[in-house]
Amino acid sequence: MDFNFDEFLAWVGEDSDTLMMLIWIIPVIIFVFYGQKIQLLISSNEIKKEIDKLDEYTKTTKEDFLSYIKNDLTPKTDVSKRLDSFFDYFTIMPVDLDPNGIISKINHLVRSREDFIRLQINNMFSDLSEMELSKLQNLLEIVTTLQLFHKHTRHLYLTAKKQKNFPLILPLQMMIPFIMEEAFALKDAMPAIKKGQPIGDGIGPMVVGQMMLNTTKESAAFETVWSKTTFEDRELFLLKADGPNATVGRPGDGFEKIISTKKPDLVIMIDASLKLEGEDSASIAKGFGAAIGGIGTERFKIEEIATKNKIPILALVVKQSIHEAITLMTQEIADKANSVRDELHQMIRENTTSGQTILVIGVGNTIGVSQ
Amino acid sequence: MSKTENELRTCYTFLECTSCKLSKKRKFTDGDIVFFTPENCSECDGKMLITKIFGVTMD
Repeated sequence: MDFNFDEFLAWVGEDSDTLMMLIWIIPVIIFVFYGQKIQLLISSNEIKKEIDKLDEYTKTTKEDFLSYIKNDLTPKTDVSKRLDSFFDYFTIMPVDLDPNGIISKINHLVRSREDFIRLQINNMFSDLSEMELSKLQNLLEIVTTLQLFHKHTRHLYLTAKKQKNFPLILPLQMMIPFIMEEAFALKDAMPAIKKGQPIGDGIGPMVVGQMMLNTTKESAAFETVWSKTTFEDRELFLLKADGPNATVGRPGDGFEKIISTKKPDLVIMIDASLKLEGEDSASIAKGFGAAIGGIGTERFKIEEIATKNKIPILALVVKQSIHEAITLMTQEIADKANSVRDELHQMIRENTTSGQTILVIGVGNTIGVSQ
Repeated sequence: MSKTENELRTCYTFLECTSCKLSKKRKFTDGDIVFFTPENCSECDGKMLITKIFGVTMD
Protein backbone atom coordinates (compact mmCIF):
# COMPACT_ATOMS: atom_id res chain seq x y z
CA MET A 1 0.00 0.00 0.00
CA ASP A 2 1.38 3.43 -0.96
CA PHE A 3 1.66 6.01 1.77
CA ASN A 4 -0.01 9.27 0.86
CA PHE A 5 1.29 12.10 3.03
CA ASP A 6 -1.54 14.51 2.12
CA GLU A 7 -4.14 11.95 3.17
CA PHE A 8 -2.26 11.36 6.42
CA LEU A 9 -2.22 15.10 7.19
CA ALA A 10 -5.90 15.33 6.45
CA TRP A 11 -6.59 12.40 8.80
CA VAL A 12 -4.53 13.96 11.54
CA GLY A 13 -6.11 17.34 11.01
CA GLU A 14 -9.56 15.81 11.48
CA ASP A 15 -8.66 14.34 14.82
CA SER A 16 -6.30 16.35 17.04
CA ASP A 17 -6.37 13.50 19.65
CA THR A 18 -4.51 11.29 17.18
CA LEU A 19 -1.71 13.87 16.87
CA MET A 20 -1.42 14.11 20.65
CA MET A 21 -1.31 10.33 20.86
CA LEU A 22 1.57 10.23 18.37
CA ILE A 23 3.44 12.95 20.27
CA TRP A 24 3.25 10.76 23.38
CA ILE A 25 3.84 7.39 21.78
CA ILE A 26 6.98 8.25 19.74
CA PRO A 27 9.09 9.29 22.76
CA VAL A 28 7.82 6.26 24.70
CA ILE A 29 8.94 3.96 21.86
CA ILE A 30 12.33 5.73 21.68
CA PHE A 31 12.82 5.35 25.43
CA VAL A 32 11.78 1.70 25.42
CA PHE A 33 14.43 0.79 22.85
CA TYR A 34 17.14 3.43 23.45
CA GLY A 35 16.47 4.57 27.06
CA GLN A 36 19.49 2.89 28.59
CA LYS A 37 21.77 4.16 25.82
CA ILE A 38 20.53 7.73 26.32
CA GLN A 39 21.01 7.43 30.10
CA LEU A 40 24.47 5.95 29.58
CA LEU A 41 25.36 8.85 27.30
CA ILE A 42 24.17 11.50 29.77
CA SER A 43 25.72 9.80 32.84
CA SER A 44 29.01 9.03 31.13
CA ASN A 45 29.36 12.64 29.94
CA GLU A 46 28.98 13.88 33.51
CA ILE A 47 31.42 11.28 34.82
CA LYS A 48 33.91 12.13 32.07
CA LYS A 49 33.99 15.75 33.26
CA GLU A 50 34.78 14.58 36.80
CA ILE A 51 37.49 12.20 35.54
CA ASP A 52 39.08 15.11 33.64
CA LYS A 53 39.07 17.05 36.89
CA LEU A 54 40.73 14.13 38.71
CA ASP A 55 43.36 14.00 35.98
CA GLU A 56 43.98 17.72 36.38
CA TYR A 57 44.25 17.40 40.19
CA THR A 58 46.77 14.56 39.79
CA LYS A 59 48.88 16.51 37.29
CA THR A 60 48.89 19.77 39.24
CA THR A 61 49.72 18.14 42.60
CA LYS A 62 52.47 16.11 40.92
CA GLU A 63 53.98 19.24 39.34
CA ASP A 64 53.60 21.10 42.61
CA PHE A 65 55.36 18.31 44.51
CA LEU A 66 58.25 18.10 42.05
CA SER A 67 58.75 21.88 41.91
CA TYR A 68 58.72 21.99 45.74
CA ILE A 69 61.52 19.41 45.77
CA LYS A 70 63.55 21.22 43.12
CA ASN A 71 63.14 24.73 44.56
CA ASP A 72 62.99 24.20 48.31
CA LEU A 73 65.13 21.12 48.93
CA THR A 74 68.54 19.84 47.90
CA PRO A 75 68.18 16.53 46.04
CA LYS A 76 71.42 14.66 45.30
CA THR A 77 70.42 14.07 41.66
CA ASP A 78 67.38 14.59 39.44
CA VAL A 79 64.77 12.71 41.44
CA SER A 80 61.79 13.18 39.08
CA LYS A 81 62.08 9.71 37.54
CA ARG A 82 62.52 7.93 40.85
CA LEU A 83 59.58 9.75 42.36
CA ASP A 84 57.48 8.98 39.28
CA SER A 85 57.93 5.29 40.02
CA PHE A 86 56.81 5.85 43.64
CA PHE A 87 53.53 7.39 42.46
CA ASP A 88 52.65 4.02 40.93
CA TYR A 89 53.54 1.90 43.97
CA PHE A 90 50.66 -0.29 45.06
CA THR A 91 49.91 -2.27 48.21
CA ILE A 92 48.53 -5.80 48.12
CA MET A 93 46.46 -6.35 51.22
CA PRO A 94 46.75 -9.74 53.00
CA VAL A 95 44.30 -12.54 52.23
CA ASP A 96 41.20 -12.19 54.41
CA LEU A 97 39.58 -15.58 53.75
CA ASP A 98 40.80 -16.59 57.20
CA PRO A 99 40.74 -13.27 59.09
CA ASN A 100 42.42 -14.68 62.20
CA GLY A 101 45.66 -12.74 62.73
CA ILE A 102 45.07 -10.38 59.81
CA ILE A 103 45.67 -7.23 61.90
CA SER A 104 49.29 -8.09 62.58
CA LYS A 105 49.76 -8.84 58.86
CA ILE A 106 48.25 -5.47 57.86
CA ASN A 107 50.32 -3.73 60.53
CA HIS A 108 53.49 -5.34 59.22
CA LEU A 109 52.61 -4.47 55.62
CA VAL A 110 51.77 -0.83 56.32
CA ARG A 111 54.86 -0.27 58.48
CA SER A 112 57.15 -1.96 55.96
CA ARG A 113 55.73 0.34 53.27
CA GLU A 114 56.27 3.42 55.47
CA ASP A 115 59.82 2.35 56.35
CA PHE A 116 60.63 1.69 52.69
CA ILE A 117 59.31 5.08 51.52
CA ARG A 118 61.10 6.87 54.38
CA LEU A 119 64.40 5.18 53.54
CA GLN A 120 64.07 5.83 49.80
CA ILE A 121 63.23 9.52 50.29
CA ASN A 122 66.04 9.95 52.80
CA ASN A 123 68.52 8.50 50.30
CA MET A 124 67.54 11.05 47.66
CA PHE A 125 68.60 14.07 49.72
CA SER A 126 71.81 15.03 51.47
CA ASP A 127 70.48 17.07 54.39
CA LEU A 128 66.89 16.26 55.16
CA SER A 129 65.42 17.20 58.54
CA GLU A 130 62.85 14.95 60.27
CA MET A 131 60.22 17.62 59.60
CA GLU A 132 60.96 17.77 55.86
CA LEU A 133 61.05 13.98 55.63
CA SER A 134 57.61 13.67 57.23
CA LYS A 135 56.24 16.43 54.98
CA LEU A 136 57.56 14.67 51.88
CA GLN A 137 55.95 11.40 52.99
CA ASN A 138 52.60 13.18 53.35
CA LEU A 139 52.93 14.95 49.99
CA LEU A 140 53.85 11.71 48.26
CA GLU A 141 50.80 10.04 49.83
CA ILE A 142 48.55 12.80 48.45
CA VAL A 143 49.84 12.46 44.88
CA THR A 144 49.73 8.63 45.02
CA THR A 145 46.13 8.64 46.32
CA LEU A 146 44.97 11.11 43.67
CA GLN A 147 46.62 9.06 40.94
CA LEU A 148 44.93 5.92 42.29
CA PHE A 149 41.51 7.67 42.34
CA HIS A 150 42.00 8.79 38.76
CA LYS A 151 43.10 5.38 37.49
CA HIS A 152 40.31 3.42 39.22
CA THR A 153 37.53 5.83 38.23
CA ARG A 154 38.76 5.92 34.63
CA HIS A 155 38.91 2.10 34.57
CA LEU A 156 35.26 1.75 35.68
CA TYR A 157 34.14 4.44 33.24
CA LEU A 158 35.96 2.98 30.25
CA THR A 159 34.78 -0.57 31.06
CA ALA A 160 31.15 0.58 31.16
CA LYS A 161 31.56 2.52 27.89
CA LYS A 162 33.37 -0.35 26.16
CA GLN A 163 30.70 -2.88 27.10
CA LYS A 164 27.87 -0.33 26.63
CA ASN A 165 26.69 -1.50 30.03
CA PHE A 166 24.51 1.07 31.80
CA PRO A 167 24.15 -0.79 35.16
CA LEU A 168 27.94 -0.89 35.41
CA ILE A 169 28.13 2.89 35.44
CA LEU A 170 25.51 3.28 38.18
CA PRO A 171 27.78 2.49 41.17
CA LEU A 172 30.35 4.91 39.77
CA GLN A 173 27.68 7.58 39.35
CA MET A 174 26.73 7.09 43.00
CA MET A 175 30.31 7.13 44.28
CA ILE A 176 31.77 9.95 42.16
CA PRO A 177 30.57 12.87 44.40
CA PHE A 178 32.29 11.26 47.41
CA ILE A 179 35.46 10.52 45.42
CA MET A 180 35.53 14.11 44.13
CA GLU A 181 35.01 15.53 47.64
CA GLU A 182 38.02 13.60 48.90
CA ALA A 183 40.11 14.39 45.81
CA PHE A 184 39.37 18.09 46.13
CA ALA A 185 40.36 18.00 49.81
CA LEU A 186 43.61 16.17 48.98
CA LYS A 187 44.49 18.74 46.32
CA ASP A 188 43.84 21.58 48.77
CA ALA A 189 45.94 19.88 51.48
CA MET A 190 49.17 20.43 49.50
CA PRO A 191 49.87 24.12 50.43
CA ALA A 192 49.40 23.61 54.19
CA ILE A 193 51.62 20.50 54.24
CA LYS A 194 54.34 22.25 52.20
CA LYS A 195 54.40 25.21 54.60
CA GLY A 196 54.15 23.02 57.73
CA GLN A 197 50.87 24.61 58.85
CA PRO A 198 48.44 22.83 61.21
CA ILE A 199 45.50 21.01 59.63
CA GLY A 200 42.02 20.39 61.07
CA ASP A 201 42.98 16.84 62.08
CA GLY A 202 45.60 18.38 64.40
CA ILE A 203 43.06 19.61 66.96
CA GLY A 204 43.66 16.58 69.25
CA PRO A 205 47.48 17.00 69.29
CA MET A 206 46.95 20.77 69.74
CA VAL A 207 44.89 20.30 72.91
CA VAL A 208 47.26 17.71 74.39
CA GLY A 209 50.36 19.64 73.16
CA GLN A 210 49.29 22.68 75.17
CA MET A 211 48.90 20.49 78.29
CA MET A 212 52.40 19.10 77.67
CA LEU A 213 54.07 22.54 77.78
CA ASN A 214 56.59 22.80 80.64
CA THR A 215 56.57 19.03 81.23
CA THR A 216 59.38 16.55 80.52
CA LYS A 217 58.70 14.80 77.23
CA GLU A 218 59.89 11.25 76.62
CA SER A 219 59.71 9.04 73.58
CA ALA A 220 56.81 6.59 73.87
CA ALA A 221 57.16 4.95 70.47
CA PHE A 222 58.33 5.84 66.97
CA GLU A 223 57.40 9.52 66.32
CA THR A 224 55.33 9.52 69.53
CA VAL A 225 55.95 11.39 72.80
CA TRP A 226 54.44 11.29 76.28
CA SER A 227 54.73 13.21 79.52
CA LYS A 228 53.21 13.39 82.99
CA THR A 229 51.30 16.18 84.69
CA THR A 230 48.66 16.55 87.40
CA PHE A 231 45.08 17.79 87.47
CA GLU A 232 43.00 18.23 90.65
CA ASP A 233 44.79 15.51 92.63
CA ARG A 234 44.88 13.13 89.69
CA GLU A 235 47.86 11.99 87.66
CA LEU A 236 47.62 12.67 83.93
CA PHE A 237 49.63 10.79 81.31
CA LEU A 238 49.69 12.73 78.05
CA LEU A 239 50.41 11.07 74.71
CA LYS A 240 50.63 12.52 71.19
CA ALA A 241 52.56 12.32 67.93
CA ASP A 242 55.94 14.06 68.01
CA GLY A 243 55.31 17.57 66.67
CA PRO A 244 55.78 19.65 64.67
CA ASN A 245 56.46 16.78 62.23
CA ALA A 246 53.76 15.77 59.77
CA THR A 247 52.96 12.49 61.51
CA VAL A 248 50.21 10.73 63.44
CA GLY A 249 52.77 8.75 65.45
CA ARG A 250 52.05 5.29 66.87
CA PRO A 251 49.63 5.80 69.76
CA GLY A 252 49.00 2.05 70.05
CA ASP A 253 52.67 1.34 70.73
CA GLY A 254 52.81 4.39 73.01
CA PHE A 255 49.88 3.08 75.08
CA GLU A 256 51.65 -0.29 75.35
CA LYS A 257 54.78 1.39 76.73
CA ILE A 258 52.87 3.57 79.18
CA ILE A 259 50.87 0.66 80.57
CA SER A 260 54.12 -1.18 81.31
CA THR A 261 54.99 1.76 83.63
CA LYS A 262 51.62 2.23 85.33
CA LYS A 263 48.09 1.13 84.48
CA PRO A 264 45.79 4.13 83.96
CA ASP A 265 42.23 3.99 85.36
CA LEU A 266 40.74 5.75 82.36
CA VAL A 267 41.75 6.55 78.77
CA ILE A 268 40.39 9.65 77.04
CA MET A 269 41.05 10.06 73.32
CA ILE A 270 40.72 13.46 71.63
CA ASP A 271 40.40 13.40 67.87
CA ALA A 272 38.87 15.09 64.84
CA SER A 273 35.81 13.28 63.54
CA LEU A 274 34.05 13.48 60.19
CA LYS A 275 30.79 15.37 60.60
CA LEU A 276 27.53 14.10 59.21
CA GLU A 277 25.67 16.26 56.70
CA GLY A 278 23.70 18.85 58.64
CA GLU A 279 26.03 18.83 61.64
CA ASP A 280 27.92 22.01 62.51
CA SER A 281 31.63 22.26 61.83
CA ALA A 282 33.80 22.45 64.94
CA SER A 283 31.03 21.14 67.20
CA ILE A 284 32.24 18.98 70.09
CA ALA A 285 30.83 15.51 70.77
CA LYS A 286 31.53 13.01 73.55
CA GLY A 287 31.22 9.26 73.44
CA PHE A 288 32.59 5.85 74.32
CA GLY A 289 35.30 3.86 72.56
CA ALA A 290 38.60 4.51 70.85
CA ALA A 291 38.43 7.68 68.75
CA ILE A 292 41.04 7.01 66.10
CA GLY A 293 40.79 6.66 62.34
CA GLY A 294 43.19 5.19 59.83
CA ILE A 295 43.39 1.64 58.58
CA GLY A 296 42.33 0.20 61.97
CA THR A 297 45.54 -1.34 63.30
CA GLU A 298 46.19 1.37 65.94
CA ARG A 299 42.56 1.24 67.09
CA PHE A 300 42.74 -2.53 67.35
CA LYS A 301 45.85 -2.33 69.51
CA ILE A 302 44.40 0.32 71.84
CA GLU A 303 41.12 -1.60 72.18
CA GLU A 304 42.96 -4.85 72.87
CA ILE A 305 45.16 -3.37 75.62
CA ALA A 306 42.18 -1.58 77.18
CA THR A 307 40.05 -4.74 77.13
CA LYS A 308 42.81 -6.92 78.58
CA ASN A 309 43.35 -4.44 81.41
CA LYS A 310 39.66 -3.53 81.83
CA ILE A 311 40.29 0.18 81.24
CA PRO A 312 37.30 2.22 80.00
CA ILE A 313 37.90 4.43 76.95
CA LEU A 314 36.08 7.73 76.46
CA ALA A 315 36.15 9.83 73.30
CA LEU A 316 36.06 13.58 72.76
CA VAL A 317 35.78 14.61 69.13
CA VAL A 318 35.65 17.82 67.12
CA LYS A 319 33.39 17.43 64.10
CA GLN A 320 34.63 18.58 60.69
CA SER A 321 34.33 17.83 56.99
CA ILE A 322 36.99 15.84 55.13
CA HIS A 323 38.12 19.13 53.52
CA GLU A 324 38.51 20.83 56.90
CA ALA A 325 40.27 17.78 58.39
CA ILE A 326 43.14 17.66 55.91
CA THR A 327 43.57 21.31 54.89
CA LEU A 328 44.76 24.37 56.86
CA MET A 329 42.97 24.47 60.24
CA THR A 330 40.00 26.85 60.17
CA GLN A 331 39.57 29.57 62.80
CA GLU A 332 36.37 27.88 64.05
CA ILE A 333 38.27 24.67 64.81
CA ALA A 334 41.33 26.44 66.29
CA ASP A 335 39.05 28.50 68.56
CA LYS A 336 37.56 25.30 69.96
CA ALA A 337 40.83 24.15 71.60
CA ASN A 338 40.00 25.82 74.94
CA SER A 339 36.45 24.43 74.95
CA VAL A 340 37.78 20.93 74.27
CA ARG A 341 40.18 21.30 77.20
CA ASP A 342 37.29 22.41 79.46
CA GLU A 343 35.23 19.42 78.32
CA LEU A 344 38.20 17.14 79.00
CA HIS A 345 38.57 18.49 82.54
CA GLN A 346 34.85 18.01 83.11
CA MET A 347 35.07 14.45 81.79
CA ILE A 348 37.97 13.71 84.16
CA ARG A 349 36.06 15.15 87.17
CA GLU A 350 32.91 13.17 86.35
CA ASN A 351 34.57 9.83 85.64
CA THR A 352 37.47 9.59 88.10
CA THR A 353 38.22 10.29 91.72
CA SER A 354 41.28 11.91 93.29
CA GLY A 355 44.39 9.76 93.26
CA GLN A 356 43.47 8.03 90.01
CA THR A 357 45.51 8.07 86.80
CA ILE A 358 44.17 9.12 83.40
CA LEU A 359 45.79 8.68 80.01
CA VAL A 360 44.89 11.45 77.56
CA ILE A 361 45.74 10.72 73.92
CA GLY A 362 45.75 13.53 71.33
CA VAL A 363 45.05 11.67 68.10
CA GLY A 364 45.76 13.12 64.65
CA ASN A 365 48.40 14.59 62.38
CA THR A 366 50.51 16.98 64.45
CA ILE A 367 51.99 18.98 61.56
CA GLY A 368 52.84 22.51 62.70
CA VAL A 369 51.90 21.70 66.31
CA SER A 370 54.66 21.25 68.86
CA GLN A 371 54.36 20.30 72.55
CA MET B 1 32.85 24.77 39.94
CA SER B 2 31.74 24.40 43.55
CA LYS B 3 31.70 27.29 45.98
CA THR B 4 34.73 26.01 47.89
CA GLU B 5 36.82 26.00 44.71
CA ASN B 6 36.59 29.80 44.55
CA GLU B 7 37.73 30.31 48.12
CA LEU B 8 41.04 31.90 49.01
CA ARG B 9 42.49 31.37 52.43
CA THR B 10 44.87 33.60 54.33
CA CYS B 11 46.84 32.02 57.13
CA TYR B 12 47.19 33.85 60.44
CA THR B 13 49.29 33.25 63.54
CA PHE B 14 47.87 34.10 66.96
CA LEU B 15 50.35 34.85 69.72
CA GLU B 16 49.92 35.40 73.45
CA CYS B 17 52.44 36.77 75.93
CA THR B 18 53.23 34.20 78.62
CA SER B 19 53.72 37.01 81.19
CA CYS B 20 51.23 39.84 80.58
CA LYS B 21 48.76 37.85 78.42
CA LEU B 22 48.89 40.47 75.65
CA SER B 23 47.66 38.85 72.46
CA LYS B 24 48.16 39.69 68.82
CA LYS B 25 47.26 38.30 65.41
CA ARG B 26 49.57 38.59 62.42
CA LYS B 27 50.01 36.93 59.03
CA PHE B 28 51.73 33.53 59.10
CA THR B 29 55.44 33.56 58.36
CA ASP B 30 57.58 30.54 57.47
CA GLY B 31 58.83 28.78 60.57
CA ASP B 32 55.78 29.60 62.71
CA ILE B 33 54.83 26.57 64.79
CA VAL B 34 52.13 26.24 67.43
CA PHE B 35 53.64 26.43 70.99
CA PHE B 36 56.90 27.97 69.76
CA THR B 37 57.99 31.37 71.09
CA PRO B 38 59.38 33.20 68.05
CA GLU B 39 59.41 36.74 69.46
CA ASN B 40 59.31 38.84 72.62
CA CYS B 41 56.37 40.85 73.90
CA SER B 42 56.37 44.50 72.89
CA GLU B 43 54.90 45.49 76.29
CA CYS B 44 56.79 43.48 78.92
CA ASP B 45 59.58 41.74 76.96
CA GLY B 46 58.12 38.37 77.93
CA LYS B 47 57.90 35.45 75.51
CA MET B 48 55.13 35.51 72.89
CA LEU B 49 53.75 31.95 72.59
CA ILE B 50 52.02 30.91 69.37
CA THR B 51 48.72 29.51 70.59
CA LYS B 52 47.08 28.87 67.23
CA ILE B 53 47.62 29.04 63.48
CA PHE B 54 44.53 29.10 61.31
CA GLY B 55 43.13 30.00 57.91
CA VAL B 56 40.51 32.64 57.24
CA THR B 57 38.47 32.37 54.07
CA MET B 58 38.31 35.37 51.74
CA ASP B 59 35.53 35.14 49.15
